[in-house]
Formats: sequence, structure tokens, C-alpha cells
Amino acid sequence: MAAPLSLHLEFGGGAELLFNSEKKHQVSLPGQAGPWDIRQLLVWIQQNLLKERPELFIQGDTVRPGILVLINDADWELMGQLDYQLQDGDTVVFISTLHGG
Amino acid sequence: MCEINEDFHDRLECVQDVEGGLKKCVKCKEANASVVIKGGDAHCRACFKENFTHKFRATLGKNRVIFPGEKVLLAVSGGPSSCSMLRQVQEGLSQNAHKKLRFLPGIVYIDEGGAVFRSSEERQKTVAQLQAIFKATGYPFHIVPLEQVLDLPSSTILTAPSASQPAHTGAYKTAVDQFIQHEISSSAAREVQEETDVYESQEPHTQALQKLIGSAKTLTAKQDLVNTLRQHVLVHTARSKGYSKVMLGDSCTRLAVKLLSNISTGRGAHLAQDTGFSDTRHGDVILVRPMRDYSAKEIAYYNHVFAVPSVFIPGLDTKNADKASIHRLTESFVNKLQADFPSTVSTIYRTSEKLQTVCGSSSTADPCDRCLLCVCALDTADDGVSALQATLTSEKLSKFRGNTRPGMPVLISGELRQSAPTVRDCRSGEGENCGQAQVGGSCCSSDMKPEKTDLKSTLCYSCQLIVKDLSSVECLPQYILSEAMRRQRRSLMRKEITFAPVSNVGQEKTLVTVPGSELWAVDQTSH
Amino acid sequence: MPVQCSCCGEKRAMLKRPKTGHSVCKDCFFWAFEEEVHETIVSAKLFRHGERVGIAASGGKDSTVLAHVMKVLNERYGYGLELMLLSVDEGITGYRDDSLETVKRNQQQYELPLKIVSYEELYGWTMDAIVKQVGLKNNCTFCGVFRRQALDRGAIMLKVDKICTGHNADDVAETVLMNVLRGDVARLRRCTAISTASEGEAVVPRCKPLKYAYEKEIVLYAYFKKLDYFSTECIYSPNAYRGHARTFIKDLESVRASSIVDIIHSGENLSVREGVKMPVQGTCNRCGYISSQALCKACVLLEGLNRGLPRLGISKHHRLHGKILARQPLTEKEERKLRSENS
Repeated sequence: MAAPLSLHLEFGGGAELLFNSEKKHQVSLPGQAGPWDIRQLLVWIQQNLLKERPELFIQGDTVRPGILVLINDADWELMGQLDYQLQDGDTVVFISTLHGG
Repeated sequence: MCEINEDFHDRLECVQDVEGGLKKCVKCKEANASVVIKGGDAHCRACFKENFTHKFRATLGKNRVIFPGEKVLLAVSGGPSSCSMLRQVQEGLSQNAHKKLRFLPGIVYIDEGGAVFRSSEERQKTVAQLQAIFKATGYPFHIVPLEQVLDLPSSTILTAPSASQPAHTGAYKTAVDQFIQHEISSSAAREVQEETDVYESQEPHTQALQKLIGSAKTLTAKQDLVNTLRQHVLVHTARSKGYSKVMLGDSCTRLAVKLLSNISTGRGAHLAQDTGFSDTRHGDVILVRPMRDYSAKEIAYYNHVFAVPSVFIPGLDTKNADKASIHRLTESFVNKLQADFPSTVSTIYRTSEKLQTVCGSSSTADPCDRCLLCVCALDTADDGVSALQATLTSEKLSKFRGNTRPGMPVLISGELRQSAPTVRDCRSGEGENCGQAQVGGSCCSSDMKPEKTDLKSTLCYSCQLIVKDLSSVECLPQYILSEAMRRQRRSLMRKEITFAPVSNVGQEKTLVTVPGSELWAVDQTSH
Repeated sequence: MPVQCSCCGEKRAMLKRPKTGHSVCKDCFFWAFEEEVHETIVSAKLFRHGERVGIAASGGKDSTVLAHVMKVLNERYGYGLELMLLSVDEGITGYRDDSLETVKRNQQQYELPLKIVSYEELYGWTMDAIVKQVGLKNNCTFCGVFRRQALDRGAIMLKVDKICTGHNADDVAETVLMNVLRGDVARLRRCTAISTASEGEAVVPRCKPLKYAYEKEIVLYAYFKKLDYFSTECIYSPNAYRGHARTFIKDLESVRASSIVDIIHSGENLSVREGVKMPVQGTCNRCGYISSQALCKACVLLEGLNRGLPRLGISKHHRLHGKILARQPLTEKEERKLRSENS
């Protein structure tokens, strides 16, 4: 049984519009049998934070193409993407590239 | 991003439901319409059939590529479009047709079952079904497993001189007239039944093929590879059996998808060859696409109503998700768009008609200027500012450089230029070395086992992407590898002739010449 | 397990570069990104020493990064360029007014002169007023055509020699696809050009220094550098068709990251068959702007707005250009036809 996790989430580049225009969210994930990974975090976000039009943020089990994900300021492609195991105190940033030029 | 001239809305009207009830055929205005084809025209069965068969003859007639008496190989995959093509040829050659086709058809089926890991029982079953269809036509047919690619000669990927066919417009008509004269005098002569052969693949071959396909790390590369190899087997079969034309069954829908996926895989330079009516890259064997005016819907309808048999054969991407490969993704993109904007396919298709290849189709060009895999003219020339150069620059800048930083620029005659050590030196001929883990001078020489880097200079932009996705090039068939080595040696000799007296070129790299082995640009900053 | 930077071999990699797949640290990324833009500028000879260059600034990520990098490179490499920001105020409440605030902050941060030209002063119409008349269906046509001219007019007012725009690799790839999807071979051929030659006296040459820069890297550059940019979708752009193309590009990128630059390569190597008709460029008889017709698109659109017949400029009505030029009224039949197209 893993302990609850405290995470800092941030939405930018227009992605915040789907979250009541709030960019920063301090969240706490409940304790669960195994460790939390990004895949599960996305499900949690969809159920707990996402306010409207989930398809503009999540597609299938991953983020919509064009949304960048940074884990502790590093590209998630370097961190195992969906399989990254979250640590207490991690910062996860989602930036949409799909808005404005 | 919005942009000016978004005025295509006018042409892309959304689907309008055809009003229910009984519409009359727009052509004969008598019979009840039963099918709506391009442009929303409703046709009755009879008029639809007439229109369908007329279009086939009209396409061939308009393009005047197939001469009377010529041997034409029909590439039948078992799918609806190529099976429909086979039926059109039968219709066209039948005595009743008033505008008779006058060429000598044969059929080829390339069995890709090995590449997609089908069991030999499944493959045999498919072959038996197709054989039944082919036998019914009375045409000679050849059933060739893709495994045959392992035994092809190197000449397969060389452009042969084109058959000396008269090119002027009067020639076609003269040839037709002559043929008709000849035909009257010896009508029974061409009824001679030709050979029909069914090759079977052997287990070791299948394993080698599977190893090759398995070495491609992405489905996109697997599909590109299978398409390329199939093309090689097709051309080889045509050549060895004396066919000068190969008919492919690509429908308009298929070609629209192909056009977009080719653009997406960097194949823009070859679009005209890849999607146009005729493809002359092989020189002596010309590929033609007589089904390019038919939409997939028309074909499906025709096959259904007129009982054209076809065989469903699972391919590499069957049952895969939309995002499994570029081809798969493009297909679903076009299909979805077509559902909302019914003119999508025909508009893309019209785009393809207005394109041509940059470097013509001259068959006299040096074979070294052609891609080892797709046999198209190379599109990798260094022309200053380009996507290719931008990528090479990125590779150069992203790989290990230690603490060195390039020099500051100087201004020459009002224009901005950089001083000596620039990021541009990966352009000076050894582009194939860029961005790869530097292997120093250790390269294929004596044991003739080429590395990816050796192949790169012999490939077009897009085929380089295929090879980039291979875990190793060793699995490639021998005819490709040996031709690669031959070209490598030739270009080596040329460079030795050009550069022999010069030992130092530029400040950052040295050309190392080791007789009989390798000419290698050693990038001194990268170690 | 942290990945090491492929470039310096020392620091921890912070991003994976989509064009090449290399993993690099922040500092090496900044350096490579800037050097690549520099390389593009130098090898395409985009500018000459001493030129006045207007940076088309919208407040969005691309133009913000462009302004920043142009300033950095101009100083680092002594381009000797006189840089200034050029913005267009389309008159969209709740969108452009906010983004212009960002541009004004950028002006302070980068210490560059700023010129704002508004649709209202140039055409007598704001986008808000245009949308009120034409609705949401074709407003992007108006906006796009007007902006192109507005930039040119602003550039002439500022007396700049060139305009550079923030078009990135994703935009160029998208435009290639859009032109294929709409069968526009003339534009297909032109759209990959990195700069437009001066096509007429009324037009200031434009270039795209970020043409080979991936959107992903632009966004990350802005994020890591903490650049101040504005990111909201235009409230009037419901362009479904372009949206499809955009989604497709992003999907392609996720299948094979090099796809975007591969598409640009395709676009650069396409060539058009001889005998395909290409429009001949002339100048507009009314305003002198380049046009392949007697009247330029902006003048026809404007005429349509002023006559209360917005369809006039939307679909092709070249026949009517003579009447517009002569300031003649349209016949009842012609008016009826234009109105009926609206439905």
C-alpha cells in the first residue's frame, strides 16, 4: 500500500481553459496498492479536474497529440511517458501547442 | 493559425442526403436509379455498368500507353479494385465489346502472406481461391510469393532502357490500324495458351523474409518495405516473362490516400510517378493505373451487383489502430474527411494530375542517381536551404560537441556569412555520416557487410527513413546489398579521382583515403 | 534513470528533439535552437546588413519566440538589423485587445519599437463589426485577406525593408496539406518558399526564419525561457477544415516525429506539370496592391461589406469587378444571386 501523493500540476498554452482557466493545481492522489503512473494520473485528472470537453485533453489513454507533458520540467518522452512512476512532490506540466500563433 | 483564402468552403459542400423515394436515372431518365456516384448523379444499373466499363476503355484510350498486341501483366491482389480491373479487361477483350481492347493479358498475384506471418495453410487456401478466379479467365497467370525477393538479380533495381516505342501521336493510331489488319489475317494465332506458374515458398525463405520485415522497428517502415519489395518482384516478373506493361488496380480513393501518405513520408518528389497514370521509372516496364478514375464506392457497388469475385487477404495493418502507422492514419483521415466533405478524394486526386516529378523520367541517367529501393531519381541534392539541410544541421548541433562553440560571424559584402567553422560542413559530401553515432573509419570494406551509413547515399530522402527504422540492414536481400556496395565502390573511385591530391579539405575535417577501403570524413570535433 | 544530454554529455537531458530524436539539456537546447535559426537566416540570405526588419507580432508563442530569437541573434552575430515589432489590431474584443497587451509588454522587455495598425483605421471595419454582418462562416476569409494587406501597409508606414513572420514548421507542413486537400497547385508550389520576393511595389518581402523550427520546440523554448506569450484561440475561428489538417499533423508527429519536416521536404520537391494554368500577378486597379484580378481580394471584400453584399468577395465574381471599379450599382438579378448564395 503506497502512501498518498502530493503533486503540483500546471496547465498552460491554452490547456488551462479546460480547467476553469486555472493554471496551477496542488493535488493529492489517494494511496493505492501500487505506485501511481502518468496513465493513472490522466484518468484521475479526467475524473477530478477536467471541467469540459475531455476529448480536447485526453484521447484514448493518453493526452491529445499537440499537448506537451513535462515531468519536473523534463520532456516526458525522456521519462517513460505513460509509464513514469510518480513521486511525492513531482511537478507535472501540460502545455498545449494548439493555440494561437 | 488562420489563413487567407479559406474560400474552398464553396466547393466542399457537406453531404446532402439524397431525398428518399424513387429517383430516375440521370442518364436514361427512364429506369429507377439505384446508385449515386461522384457528383451526386443517380444512375440505374444498366447506365452505371455502361458508364463504368466505358470509363476503363476511355482511360486507356486517352493515355495511349498500351499498344495493340502488347503483353500486359495485370497485378491482382485479390482486393476489390484489382479484381474489378480484371473484369474490365475481360469485358474489353470480349468479342462483343464494340471498342475492343487489343492487348495480351496475363495475371500476377504476389503472395505477401510470408511477410504478414500467415500460416502456410492460410496462404494455400487463398492461393487456391485466386487460382480458381484466374483459371476462369483463361489468361496465363503467375502466382509468386514475396519470398522470391530473396532471389532477385541486381538488375531488378536498375532502370533498363525503355523499349523503342514511337512517341509521336500518330504512332498509336498507325499501330492500331496495323494490328487490326494483322489480326484479320491471322485471327487464331494468339489463342496459344501460355505458361502458367505457381511458385511455392520454402520455409527458410519465409523465415528470412520474416526476419527482414521484423527488423523494421515501425509499422510505417514495414509497410513501406513490403510495398517496395512487392514492386521489385512485380517488375522482375514482368521482365522475365516478357511483359512490357503492368496494370495496377489503384482506385481513386486508394491513390488519394497514397498521395497524402507519400507526402507525409517525404516522398513528394516522386508523387507523379507514384500516383499518376503511368510510371516510367523502370524504363522497359511501365506501370499503369487504369482504375484511378474509380472511387472505392463505385468499385464496391459494381463488384456487388455484377458478381465480381474478390478475396479478402489480411495485410500488415489489418485490425491495427488508426495510429499504428502513417499509412493507416492517413487512410482513416481521408475516410473521415470524405464522410464530411464528399469532394475530398476527387480534389486530392485532381491535385495529383497537376504534378510531375522534378527530375523527369529519363532512363539514360546514371543509375547512381537513382534510389536503390524505390528506383526514383534521388531528391537529396545539396541545394542550400532545405528541409533536408535543416535536419542535418539539427543533427550536427544536437550531437556531442564537448566545449567547442562555432566562431563568430563576419560580414562579407553586406551579407551575413559565418566564419570558418560553420555548422554547414556536413554538406560537403559526407552527409551520410551526419547524425549517426560516429564509427570513425571502421566500416565495411573487406567482408562486404554494409552499414546503414553506407546505404544512405544511395537512397532517396524517404527510403532513408525506412532504413533509419531498420534495426540492421543485414537482412536486406542480397541484390540490394550488392548493388549498394557496387555503387559505394564506384563513388569511392570517383572521389579518389577528384580528391586524390588533396589531403585536407576545410579546417574541421580530414578526408582519409585508404586505398581499396573507405573514404571517410572524420569529424574531428566529435571526439 | 535520467538521460544525459547528447550534446554536452554532462547535464541531464530535458527534452527530446522531434526532428532528430536527440535528447538535450536546457542550455544545449537553447544554443542549438538559436543556432539553427541563425543557420536558416544565413544560408537563405534572409537579410542584409543594415536593413530595417518588421517582426509581425501577435503576442502568441511563435511571434514572441521569433522576436526574442531575432534580438538575440542580431546582437550575437552582429546582423546590424534595425528590428521593430509590427502588430495588427483586427478589432476583436476579448481576444486581440488582450494579446496586444502582451505585445506591448514584449515591446518593453525587448526594447523594440512597436507599430500597431488597426482594421478600423485601414478599412473602417473591425472584425467584430464584420462578424456582425457576415456571421461566423466566412469571417476568416475577411480577416486573413485584410491582415495580409494591413501588415504590408504597416510595413510601408514603418519604412521597413522586410517583414518576418512567426510561421513554424508545423504551420508550413499544415499549409502543404491544406493546399493538397483543396487542390490549389499554385499555392502548393509557393507555400514552402522561405521568403517571398518583392512581387510588386505595394508588397514588402516576407520571410519565415522559424520555417524549420518545430512547434514543440518553440513552445518549450518559450516555456524554459519563461517568455511572456498569450495563448487563446481566436474567438471567431471555427474553421473545422483546417482543424482537421492540424489534428492530422499532430497525429502524424506522434507516429513519426520527423513527419513534419518530411512533409516540408515533400513540398519543397513537388513540381507542377507544364500547361497547368498559373495566375498572373498584376496590381489592383483601385489600391495598387498585387492582384491577379482587376481588383484585389481586399477591395472586393470591402466593397461587399460596404454594399451590404458580403458574398461579393467570398465566391468568385470576377465578372462584377468592372462594375465595382466604375462604381455602378449591380442589377437586381445579380444582387438576388449574391443574397441567395448566403443561405
